[in-house]
Amino acid sequence: MATAAPSGARVQVQLTYDMSKALGVERFELDGVTTVADVVRLAQQRFEGGAGSFEELTSRAAVAVNGVLTSHRRGMRTALRDGDTVSFVKAAAGG
Amino acid sequence: MINGYAGRILEIDLTTERVEWKPLDEDIARLYIGGKGYGTRLLYDRTEAGIDPLGPDNLLIFATGPLNGSVAPQSNRFAVVCKSPLTGGIGNATCGGSFALGLKKAGVDVVVVRGRAKRPLRLEIDGDASEVNFVDATDLWGKGTYETQAILGKKRYHAVIGPAGENQVLYAGIVSNERIAGRTGVGAVMGSKQLKAVSVWGSRKLDMEDPDKFKAYTKEVRRIFKDHPVLGESMKRFGTGGIVNTTNARNILPTRNFKYGHFDGAMKISGEWIEDHELKGVKTSCIHCPVTCGRDVEVDGKVVKGPEYETLALLGSNLEIGDIKKVSEWNYLADDLGMDTISLGATLGFAMELVETGAIQNADGALRFGDPAGISEMIRDIAHRRGLGNELANGTRRMSEKFGGAAFAPHVKGLELSAYDPRGSFAQGVEYATTNRGGCHVQGASMYLESTGPLTINPQNLKLKADLPIVQQNLACAINSMVLCIFTTYGIVPKAIHAMNPNSWQHKALSLALENSGPVFRWAQSIKGSPMLWFEKWLTYITGQKFSSGHLQEIGGRIFNLERMYNLREGLTGADDTLPDRILYEPTFEHMKSGHPLDQLLPLYYKKRGWDAQGIPTARTLERLKVLH
Ligand code: SF4
Repeated sequence: MATAAPSGARVQVQLTYDMSKALGVERFELDGVTTVADVVRLAQQRFEGGAGSFEELTSRAAVAVNGVLTSHRRGMRTALRDGDTVSFVKAAAGG
Repeated sequence: MINGYAGRILEIDLTTERVEWKPLDEDIARLYIGGKGYGTRLLYDRTEAGIDPLGPDNLLIFATGPLNGSVAPQSNRFAVVCKSPLTGGIGNATCGGSFALGLKKAGVDVVVVRGRAKRPLRLEIDGDASEVNFVDATDLWGKGTYETQAILGKKRYHAVIGPAGENQVLYAGIVSNERIAGRTGVGAVMGSKQLKAVSVWGSRKLDMEDPDKFKAYTKEVRRIFKDHPVLGESMKRFGTGGIVNTTNARNILPTRNFKYGHFDGAMKISGEWIEDHELKGVKTSCIHCPVTCGRDVEVDGKVVKGPEYETLALLGSNLEIGDIKKVSEWNYLADDLGMDTISLGATLGFAMELVETGAIQNADGALRFGDPAGISEMIRDIAHRRGLGNELANGTRRMSEKFGGAAFAPHVKGLELSAYDPRGSFAQGVEYATTNRGGCHVQGASMYLESTGPLTINPQNLKLKADLPIVQQNLACAINSMVLCIFTTYGIVPKAIHAMNPNSWQHKALSLALENSGPVFRWAQSIKGSPMLWFEKWLTYITGQKFSSGHLQEIGGRIFNLERMYNLREGLTGADDTLPDRILYEPTFEHMKSGHPLDQLLPLYYKKRGWDAQGIPTARTLERLKVLH
């Protein structure tokens, strides 16, 4: 996460269950992204024409890079590196 | 007698088959409420140090509290307290189902069982007649918990063990309906006494100080619960399994014997997946609970209780099994055999790693990560203590003493870790290390405010990580003494927080404020004001005593310190407040150089608890909390 690859990174994107249901895919790969904002924007494009509203789904989901919430890093400006996993994550209670 | 209590303790000696009815000690009830607190005090006072947990001198205490027997949501749980055969320290577990209601109907607050029966026995407690029958249970011995309860019938309330308890599997539990008092081997203690089942009935009603206020307020709470995003929505829809994808995304889902925190197959063992693909018929609940966190699935053509989060993680991702049908099958099997799926899954994962390293060589092709072959048979072998199963029946600590692998044996004080990896949840790690019964999450559940809930702090710095576990552990001690379901605490975070966009600056500001609240956080909890939360009000309306957050923190702190004193008496020391080397030294996050920073947090925790550098409560702390009064 510390430094971005100059030409953008290749990352895995892991969706929440609801997102994955709407898109019909659990995770996908994105190439050429430098920040989390890029991932959110490109993920949104994937949703166009798909079921459900991306805004609605993301308004309840935080974003984590390799398990660390971006709110504890640089938010949407958090830089990405090759091999990172960017996950959308919803709050939940378990037992 | 204080309202809310039946006023009677039933003492049963299985060796002599003698029974005594005694009055409840009101002073103890005032100091420790009931449930786990009252039971711990009895165990401390009435057993000698160093007794054999599986010998006749150990007490098996079933304890209710003043909320039991009411119609308050989540209020029908009982606590079991004894010396733990798994840890050698304090043993306890709580259980839903219906047995707590039965005890209160029978007019019994606490049942204390000692001695050892000469043959398999079951107890019938007729509360109205104040009679106890010792019934030969040879015909039930060997039967599963479901069949046993079916034979005993639906008209009475039962707590039973399965073959795992009979064979003293060190993590055997006690079952009521389809729920289990799973942790610390309470079922092994029941088995060691040759006690197969306790059945209870009666027609008493609960006396309350202010029944009208209780009734009206409970109606309101039901409405609040119905409208709450966790208690009325996510837990209802997805059960506790709704958290699998979250812990996976946060890299704290135990995977491959806690080596990793992320499992690629997590989605297919999640609560959402179960909702969409596996759910059969009804969602189930403990008596009077509208949350209905249980869900039924199909196993071998039968509709049975489905797995909850801990089971999905420990028997799923931890073994690298992404097949929900297999996890459901093993969950049902473990429940029927009567054992704790947390310790079971953690022990299986540990054994798999021992097979991988070559330390175990006689697994006959079973016990491989990602491979379900032979697991069902191994679970049966554990319950019946056959072959290699006899080793796994002793849990990870004893296995590591025999086969090696202590560095990756996932336990604290002998109790296997629950399914939140502390490397991504530092306060939870402190909680695991210091919780008196060992590596358990429901004795505080710090992870909710740290890693998984709607408002979390940065889980990987030192801020609040010594304060949070103290507040949470104290609260959990109080809740387990009422006896209420710990999931009720999820309701404390209001709906408005859930509605916030987690990526907004407002959310971030709130999270930072919480993270930096330190002493203020603990001070705020300690204020003895008016009852605010539902359980504080319920307790107040039922007992007529005043309960607020400050009262519960004080009582919870008293119970926690008493447990600590019990452990110290039994030979545990500060050195037992630790985490497995894997958790302490192996990083699972790329920015980490090592694992959990317990060495920095533990001294802080001790100090804030009022303990000395060795983790011993100071005389001042014991006096301030009236621990042994
Ligand atoms: S929330 Fe679940 S475990 Fe707790 S009382 Fe309700 S049904 Fe039982």
